[in-house]
Amino acid sequence: MQQLIAIKGGRGGLRLQLDESVPWEDLLVALQQQLGQGSSFFNGAQITVDVGERALDQAQLDGLLALMQEHGLKPDSLASSARESRAAARSAGVAARPLVRGIAEAEERGEALFHARTVRSGQLIRHHGNVTILGDVNAGGEIIAGGSVIVWGHVRGVVHAGALGDRNCIIGALHLVPTQLRIADLIGRQPDKAADKMPEVARVESGAIVVEPWEAFKK
Amino acid sequence: MGRVITVTSGKGGVGKTTTTANLGTALAMGGARVAVVDADIGLRNLDIVMGLENRIVFDLVDVIEGRARLKQALIKDKRFPDLCLLPAAQTRDKDAVSHDDMVALTNQLRAEFDYVLIDSPAGIESGFRNAIAGADEVLIVTTPEVSAVRDADRIIGLTEAFEKGHPRLVLNRVKTRMMKAGEMMSIEDVLQILAIDLVGVVPDDEMIVTSTNRGEVAVMDKSSRAGKAFVDIARRVRGEQVPFMALDEGGGVFDRLFGMFGRRPRGSER
Repeated sequence: MQQLIAIKGGRGGLRLQLDESVPWEDLLVALQQQLGQGSSFFNGAQITVDVGERALDQAQLDGLLALMQEHGLKPDSLASSARESRAAARSAGVAARPLVRGIAEAEERGEALFHARTVRSGQLIRHHGNVTILGDVNAGGEIIAGGSVIVWGHVRGVVHAGALGDRNCIIGALHLVPTQLRIADLIGRQPDKAADKMPEVARVESGAIVVEPWEAFKK
Repeated sequence: MGRVITVTSGKGGVGKTTTTANLGTALAMGGARVAVVDADIGLRNLDIVMGLENRIVFDLVDVIEGRARLKQALIKDKRFPDLCLLPAAQTRDKDAVSHDDMVALTNQLRAEFDYVLIDSPAGIESGFRNAIAGADEVLIVTTPEVSAVRDADRIIGLTEAFEKGHPRLVLNRVKTRMMKAGEMMSIEDVLQILAIDLVGVVPDDEMIVTSTNRGEVAVMDKSSRAGKAFVDIARRVRGEQVPFMALDEGGGVFDRLFGMFGRRPRGSER
């Protein structure tokens, strides 16, 4: 299937890019699917909906907002090069801005995020692609990634891989003692015994998160 | 030009004020000109711990709002002529002071003193942000408890975000017996989570409670083990290399600590 919806993480929050050529109804169906799989990825994020050149009327925009509302989301702004779309957004109480394609392209560069410091309590790293952390993820810290997450250090906090719905994503760390692990829509908790001090990988197997030593995983 | 050092913790009740009072007094005993500033507007108590409560005329907010000059508000400690306290206002709240006010005030103090110690309020809100606004460096105080360490971690993240360099750690109220029995987080456990340099370990000492209530700081009491630890911290803040004192006869913990966390020159021995 053609990719109708793209999600990009940038400095100013998340950008939900909606294809501008397919029929609007098809797009809503695709969006419904996407949000059903991984709406927790968006929780608490600043969201900009980018509809490109598409001209939305008031009813179409209301439909979009209602769909997002179902999943507990509200866009902070709408970006479009069409004046009609921006006017519809404004009258629905959503900030509207013209489309700046240059910025969108800059955000696409480099699909993986490399973060070379410890993620401390209260810090949140959110990225649409794969994430590598050089350092620890301390208790109270959180990673939310659309792709897989590798931590070169201890994981003591919460890591969510495949947050856009991909169960094939993995979480790997030198020492995995998380408060909680999440992959796609699944949640796993550390057993209450002391963990082995070896590199481990968490992945999904028959509908549950399993953790195994890296040595076993790589075979 | 003096150094501005903020003492903070995130969690309340772990010993920020005690640390500020003792560190300030110890630095002054070593001959430095020291100002201690109570930045906990509305919950003033550094003056009580230092035994200077009954001499307050003007306070920090009076200086910022122009009702008093800095010189008038500073209280000289009679025991140490080079030690001064700038008390907090008790009848106002955090909103009486802005970020820029604090930067201006610390700059004024820096010109007059070798060390300016700022006692931060607990929390991560404006009071804390004001307390670190003018800081050159930050000391984080924590106790070896999971909740205090979690809050210290949060505060370290924030001080890094405000670009205050690498904060250093004071581990307070260490109960050696419980640590040895494995009933309490060990020093290694805390350092492994927080991953910052240790500037001092203060043993739990019941005498602190009585000395604090009487307004006599522990460093003045030669027999106080906590006082000795604060004197060592003062020396390390001045840049001296001071070995960590053994908290028990065996001293094994600290020998190993040095092996793990002592600063080692990297790649310079080739």
